[in-house]
Amino acid sequence: MLGIIVSGLAIGAVYAITALIYNLMYATSKVLSVTTGHICMLGGVFGAWFTTVLGWPVVPALLGAVGVGAGFGVLTEVVAVRRVLARSDEHLWLLSTLALATMTQQAVGLWWGTEPRRFPRVIPQDFSHGAADQKFWLPIGVMLLAAAGLELFYRRTMWGKLFQATSEDPFAARARGISTDRVRMLSYALSGALGGLGGFAAGQLTFAYFALGLTLTLNGFIAIAVGGLGSSVGALVGGLALGLLSAFATYWFGGEYQQTIAVGLLMVVLLIRPEGLFGARGVRAV
Amino acid sequence: MKKAGALIAAVALATLPSWAGNQYQVHLATLIGIYWVLIAGLNLVVGYSGQLSIGHVGLLAIGAYAYAVLASTYDWPPLLALGLSGAAGGVCGLLLGLPSLRLPGFYFAMATLAFSLIVAELSLAMGGVTGGGVGLPVPGFPAPFDTANGLYWMVLGIAMSVTWLTWNVARRLWGRALIAVRDSPVAASSAGISIFRAKLSVFVFSGVTAGLAGALFAALQSYITPDTFAFDIGLFFFVCIIIGGRGSILGPFLGTVVLTALPEFVAPLAKLGNFFYGLLLLAVVLVVPEGIGHLVDLLAARLARRGRHESHVVQPDLPRLAAVLARGRTP
Repeated sequence: MLGIIVSGLAIGAVYAITALIYNLMYATSKVLSVTTGHICMLGGVFGAWFTTVLGWPVVPALLGAVGVGAGFGVLTEVVAVRRVLARSDEHLWLLSTLALATMTQQAVGLWWGTEPRRFPRVIPQDFSHGAADQKFWLPIGVMLLAAAGLELFYRRTMWGKLFQATSEDPFAARARGISTDRVRMLSYALSGALGGLGGFAAGQLTFAYFALGLTLTLNGFIAIAVGGLGSSVGALVGGLALGLLSAFATYWFGGEYQQTIAVGLLMVVLLIRPEGLFGARGVRAV
Repeated sequence: MKKAGALIAAVALATLPSWAGNQYQVHLATLIGIYWVLIAGLNLVVGYSGQLSIGHVGLLAIGAYAYAVLASTYDWPPLLALGLSGAAGGVCGLLLGLPSLRLPGFYFAMATLAFSLIVAELSLAMGGVTGGGVGLPVPGFPAPFDTANGLYWMVLGIAMSVTWLTWNVARRLWGRALIAVRDSPVAASSAGISIFRAKLSVFVFSGVTAGLAGALFAALQSYITPDTFAFDIGLFFFVCIIIGGRGSILGPFLGTVVLTALPEFVAPLAKLGNFFYGLLLLAVVLVVPEGIGHLVDLLAARLARRGRHESHVVQPDLPRLAAVLARGRTP
């Protein structure tokens, strides 16, 4: 039973990290990017590539994965978001980020192969620890660290306040002399870095797998829809709840119905509380 | 002129088996026709009412499995099974559309994505009905549709009737209503359009065409597994419409033909697969968000205008105006 709870919390932590990235990108651009899960996927794949193929030690590989994530975040902003936001059509960003996500997934599939590949140990530890294994605790730790770090960033630093101002009212923020374009770019770089870190930390749990991105995009979205768009606490609660639910569903009904049950959760929450558990009312019209 | 063009196209399509180079090209044309049956319905949802459904492959799979199970496991007449799989697609479209069409853009897209993943998961899990990962053999249609050419003509007939239906929907009151819903829901509902009902009706219609397409697809492939209905195909349908242009029928049709045939003739593109589709989608969204069809329309309009004098320029009739003014001053 402990094993199920821990593994549920661990995979839930990965969903929660994805949900945090959704929040971070949404705050400054009001865009829910399809590439969100693919950032984490890139963190895992490049982490595995740096360590197993290039033979780098763990710390440079981690920094490399974070760098690749940040680079991809900026790429998303430049290619798929910036020009589209300049037009007023509402759903174009969905198409452009979907296109970028598809290209990324296929490119990684061609280059890295379509089979999940092993991710090496990050901290020296043998495989006899069961529920205390690092593959469970690393994502959970990163999730807590990221949530706390983001909270501190928003409340204590100048840039965090700029993020919040841009998120509340981009027009007024620009009138006060904030370069909202630069803030948006930075938020994408930051979310990319967070995704790279999360993907690296979750690598041993999810493996370095090219199709992970789409799954994470969907499940992270379910986490955010359950928890409430724009709320860090909601992202954590939604992600962990979804992870636990999938773990117990697998235990009781077998692994075949995971997605069905996850989407069932989404539908129930959207019917009862369309704004999510911790979301602000009136953020979006349902 | 337009009618003559349509007639020539219809004759060319109907006689395709006799002038096609080989059997494979007939197969390819049949495949394009089957895709088009689905895409024509989906076009009303994506292109006209602006609901970005990326998961129609789920409905395609439902139609295919319904046909395979009815015609193969229960030995029902294939043509009856074809009709029933269309109905199954419609019912599932209704069940999917009822909750998800209330959601805004990204939420709806994610709901349809989730739906296609659920269908894939269930078709693997319910091995007793669907054969699981091993798959199901699918019987073909009875004579005269049992040859490659016969199947082609059958698909052609269905595709043409579906096109005719969507064309009628698109250019009458319904199509105008859908475009209004896409471009401004508030203005549409103030003009007395029931937004949800309009969206739901075309979504159910697209479910029926997806179910029919699924049955035809299964009969063409003659063996189906859950892998046949990967999420990528759903994306492919979607890309065909966006590239062709929203709010047009010819554009998505050209998109379907080109995108289906191109990878068959240009080998490197087949290897790139989704990367190529993604690149095309990105290029179209960034450069011509209205789609390639829109460019064609613009070119056609420019060509048509050349040589004809401008009849719409309003020239003020100055003497008359002066006369009216003068009369106004002295009553």
